[in-house]
Amino acid sequence: MSPRENNSSAASTRRRPSLSFRPRPRTAAPAPVSKDFGWDTWQEPSLVKVCQDGEAPVLEEMEPFPDAVPRRRGAKSFSSLRHPVDGIVALGRRLSVSLRNKSSKQNLAVVENVHDDQDGHEQCEDRHYAHVTGCTGHKHHIASGSWDPRVAPNNWPRGYSINRRPSLNSVSALHGFYAPIASIPAPIPGRGQEPPILPNNRFGGAAARAAAAAQNEQMEVARMAKAERESNKILEIRIPQDSESGIGIDLRDRSEVSDVDLPGIRRLDPIGFLPAEISAHILSYLDPDSLMTCEAVSRSWLQACSSPVWKRVFRGAYGRRPTSDTTSKMKQSSGLGKSIPNQDWKKMYLTRRALDQRWKDGKAAAIYLQGHQDSVYCSQFDEKKIITGSRDRTIRVWDAHYPWACQKIIGPPSQRVYGRGPVNSPTSQATGTSPFLTITPPFVHPDNIDEGSGPEEESVYHSASILCLRFDEEIMVTGSSDHTCIVWDIKNDYRPIHRLSGHHAGVLDVCFDDRYIVSCSKDATICVWDRKTGELLRQLVGHLGPVNAVQLRGDLIVSASGDGVAKMWNVVSGQCVKEFVSKDRGLACVEFSDDGRTILTGGNDRIIYQFDANTGDLVNELRGHSGLIRSLHLDSANKRIVSGSYDMSVKVFDRDTGNLSINFPGWTTSWMLSVQSDYRRIVATSQDARTVIMDFGYGLDGIDLLEE
Amino acid sequence: MSSGTITLTSSDEVDITVDRAVAERSVLIKNMLEDLGDSGEAIPIPNVNEAVLKKVIAWCEQHKNDPASANDDDDNRRKTTDIDEWDQKFMQVDQEMLFEIILAANYLDIKALLDVGCKTVANMIKGKSPEEIRKTFNIQNDFTPEEEDQIRRENEWAEDR
Repeated sequence: MSPRENNSSAASTRRRPSLSFRPRPRTAAPAPVSKDFGWDTWQEPSLVKVCQDGEAPVLEEMEPFPDAVPRRRGAKSFSSLRHPVDGIVALGRRLSVSLRNKSSKQNLAVVENVHDDQDGHEQCEDRHYAHVTGCTGHKHHIASGSWDPRVAPNNWPRGYSINRRPSLNSVSALHGFYAPIASIPAPIPGRGQEPPILPNNRFGGAAARAAAAAQNEQMEVARMAKAERESNKILEIRIPQDSESGIGIDLRDRSEVSDVDLPGIRRLDPIGFLPAEISAHILSYLDPDSLMTCEAVSRSWLQACSSPVWKRVFRGAYGRRPTSDTTSKMKQSSGLGKSIPNQDWKKMYLTRRALDQRWKDGKAAAIYLQGHQDSVYCSQFDEKKIITGSRDRTIRVWDAHYPWACQKIIGPPSQRVYGRGPVNSPTSQATGTSPFLTITPPFVHPDNIDEGSGPEEESVYHSASILCLRFDEEIMVTGSSDHTCIVWDIKNDYRPIHRLSGHHAGVLDVCFDDRYIVSCSKDATICVWDRKTGELLRQLVGHLGPVNAVQLRGDLIVSASGDGVAKMWNVVSGQCVKEFVSKDRGLACVEFSDDGRTILTGGNDRIIYQFDANTGDLVNELRGHSGLIRSLHLDSANKRIVSGSYDMSVKVFDRDTGNLSINFPGWTTSWMLSVQSDYRRIVATSQDARTVIMDFGYGLDGIDLLEE
Repeated sequence: MSSGTITLTSSDEVDITVDRAVAERSVLIKNMLEDLGDSGEAIPIPNVNEAVLKKVIAWCEQHKNDPASANDDDDNRRKTTDIDEWDQKFMQVDQEMLFEIILAANYLDIKALLDVGCKTVANMIKGKSPEEIRKTFNIQNDFTPEEEDQIRRENEWAEDR
């Protein structure tokens, strides 16, 4: 209890509304793995064979921790800007705004928030220390193999700090920071004298408006400053024009040099003055909040904020799927909805915003898919289906929608049975965020389900654990402990197309694009296969340990090995072009960003390393896990890094700041083996034979509109 | 090729001589010259008066060496704040001139100028309250109190974070 009390606060309790439902007798918690399941399979060591894993010297090797943490955090957390100086200036400008308008509560609140942020960070740093010391102690438990759920995911109070800094992650905060930066070159002092054209403090949540308005203001000021200098020139140009245009002759020259606030300036309603298509063009440049404001201006403005405008604003705000040639088929839903007639784009925006708020709050429902009889090593999902692969030698296809039925079991007939998963022990979720709702779809008896009619002979299936799988719209590739990969035809009822044989040990990870299938193995090699023919094109040799993970982007492969090194290879030449080394021990997973700029690795250091793919520099270290990081997923569109760990937690980090934003400890009863996320959910698989959908969109009004 | 100068006639019958390369920033004029050939005669621009046309030509002059705009589709347009410094200064004109430039850019089919103009107006809107927008553009609030209330409630919901 004590570690939590140290960190306890109003904030952290607020984040656990379901607290009262979970009795938390803190008596010696049973080791859930061994007690809840009688399967002796649990004793088998992990899939990932990481070099130098779990040895005694660990305690000393943890020492580098305290040095690195506070310095990095401190520098980075201050407003998370690329240009810290600009950031301070921007902050200063915000401060000055609020001081000038003393009446404004909102602006003062903004200032206070800023201080709060700093305080929050300092406290965070303290906790880092606390955590580190605690961590070394706990290491004993883990290394010695006694699995104590109280220890592992505990005492990580990040939920607290996040709660105190809601504005940092919000849309409005982005405006707050970025807009002023853009306007820094302007003559700032000038703003002080100018009566604010826009008393932008009257409404709640004014940070975004204040920032944007400041920019407006700044433009006005710039205009004034220029006006004096240029007035002569402008007048020269103007004079003939005025006498000819016939409109506003008397006022034009004055307006040219005057402040907007002066009375008598000719003001025109752009929506009335300009044709509808140009009005739409203008409004399309707005952010959704500004567009919503426009709707309240007048009837003609409300009308101008049409569905096509909302569509463009919505897409502008949430981006489009990156169109990369080589990864085009591996589609991940971005939650941007379908381009169909009569689509309610505004509603979609409101839904999307509510969804994003849930991500900020860490509010998700847990939906448990049970059926596998053993560890679920791998999974991938899209909007329609979730496919999982397990140690029980089967691959299962699940409906991604209610009632999340298992639609198909691909595997030897003898294995096409259903296992019932374990039940969560409430104690393991004691810290961090629990699901606001837990759903365990009813156990469906095999008789009642269409298993598909796969071939009956066992030889077409994997004869051992399914360790990895990837699919696109045409094929699925699975890798197994039986040393082979199988390519399946997704469009033709998951018929096997061919088997890729060449590795001399289990195939630990696989990925592919339009041209190649790349697999990596415990035999320390990487194989590149022709996607169409299944021919082995080349073998990449160089790792000194099992290759646990591999990713392919364009012509580059990135692989992560238990030897603690991630390597970048050219897929065509087969040459290793770069190395990214962990600080200490083996790597279990790797992510290569869509744009090819960032590489993330995770492993036994319990740190997510973020590298610049071009320079090879280590740019950040994301900390928070207390166990081996087994799986990583980078969602570039939503700027999230999702990680699953042997500490039984799934965590979400902000890609830009590296801050931990969500902590879901103990949503399953054992190690997290794979994680993937999209705009609304995280799908994680666990050693406890279950797959959990962490659904942030569950029950949200209009959530279906976002499906693509 | 596109050498020499051409003459444009504004709506108010003023002839303006301009480098052909500059004038060809306008897709309308470019197509016209390609279709009809350069006859040496003045090209009438009936929708744009002299003052606006001069302003537009000044912009084209400044941007004559810009690379042909990559045909970025609607959704991939750059963010509103991306207006380069010269263009920002260029757009520091009164509202009517600004809107006339936008109309001219639209008519002459100068996409980059149209974008800059629209972005400028968008920046004038961005971050303001409805009342501030009304003040900026002298707009009458023609909503009934009930309608206003309903819209406000919608917005309030949105602001409830």
